[in-house]
Amino acid sequence: MAGGGELGGGGGRPKRGKHSKRKPKKRLGFRIDMTPLVDITFLLLTFFMFVTTLTTPQVMDMAVPPETEDVEVAESKLFTVRVREDGKIFYNQAKDIPQPIILKELRTKAIRSNLDMKNELITVLKIDENVAYETVVNILDELNLAEIKITQALQAEKLNRERKFTISPMTDKDKEEIKGL
Amino acid sequence: MPKVKMKRTGFVIDMTPLVDITFLLLTFFMFTAKFKSEADNEQKFQIKRPKTQADTAKLPEKDVAVIRIAIDSTRPSDTAYYFSVANPELWMTIKDDPSLAEWLTPERKEASKAMIKTVKIEELETLISVSRTQSKAFNITKKTATEKAQLRFAIDADKRIRFKWIANAMEAMRRTRQTQFNFVTDKQQ
Repeated sequence: MAGGGELGGGGGRPKRGKHSKRKPKKRLGFRIDMTPLVDITFLLLTFFMFVTTLTTPQVMDMAVPPETEDVEVAESKLFTVRVREDGKIFYNQAKDIPQPIILKELRTKAIRSNLDMKNELITVLKIDENVAYETVVNILDELNLAEIKITQALQAEKLNRERKFTISPMTDKDKEEIKGL
Repeated sequence: MPKVKMKRTGFVIDMTPLVDITFLLLTFFMFTAKFKSEADNEQKFQIKRPKTQADTAKLPEKDVAVIRIAIDSTRPSDTAYYFSVANPELWMTIKDDPSLAEWLTPERKEASKAMIKTVKIEELETLISVSRTQSKAFNITKKTATEKAQLRFAIDADKRIRFKWIANAMEAMRRTRQTQFNFVTDKQQ
């Protein structure tokens, strides 16, 4: 691409004179120097590449129970997940003693408990005020991932999944129950 | 007789394919580019969102009210709720709502071009209910009262923040009978 652009018509140029002895030069096509064009295009390309954010944030669905009178539920149907101040997770079903559980095992536990009880189980999440929000979202994510498996398993049995889940505040009684564990 | 060596001066590369591809990429990036919204511009803090695997739905660009909770690095006690609505026209009507006049002083209103900093939880509650009623009225006048155009609510919180802040915001949602909402998350790579 060295040298400047040689713009010239492909067609014939008017002859210089009637008696010109020069043969009319037949030009085949023409060439444009594209270097400045490429320069600018690359500049713009890099600009837009740096400006764009390809990762758009996602959303996780959440629901809170409406402000109505408390609904009585059988304790045997409750699957309670408690998160202590230090981020440790405890679970218990019905009136069992809370058991510590690590985040990775929560999914399999939730799947198993839910499949045992079909659609009856109510998951209750109780979180201490001082727990980091990240821990909460991680737990919710695990439960959501479990939900996919539960729905699939129930669909195989021709059952529709009705999710029963709630976040409820942690009471002093809850704190007492998981204190020494 | 030995051949006369031709001296070559420079060479020519055909740049056409290069230009083709570059233009293709350029147009792609130009169309996908999203510029900072006014709310982002006003935002003086950065939110590190928690990462999740299960979520697939994208945060809508319109008809969404976002409650932001971020960590204030300088004064941790100063963390507040920031409320913003994605639709600029709707945002104007929300700000001018008479029920906000009690605490949203003209100076504060002036300072909040794209988002309102709420100091008290009651202020957040009023904002939630006002934006919901205003969005309904807005949709009726524009005849777009469809399911899709309904204002959605999302909590965009920093992952390091204590759950207390989110619990309070959720409680505000509950009290204003906004039982459905979203948490804003990032995709886990």
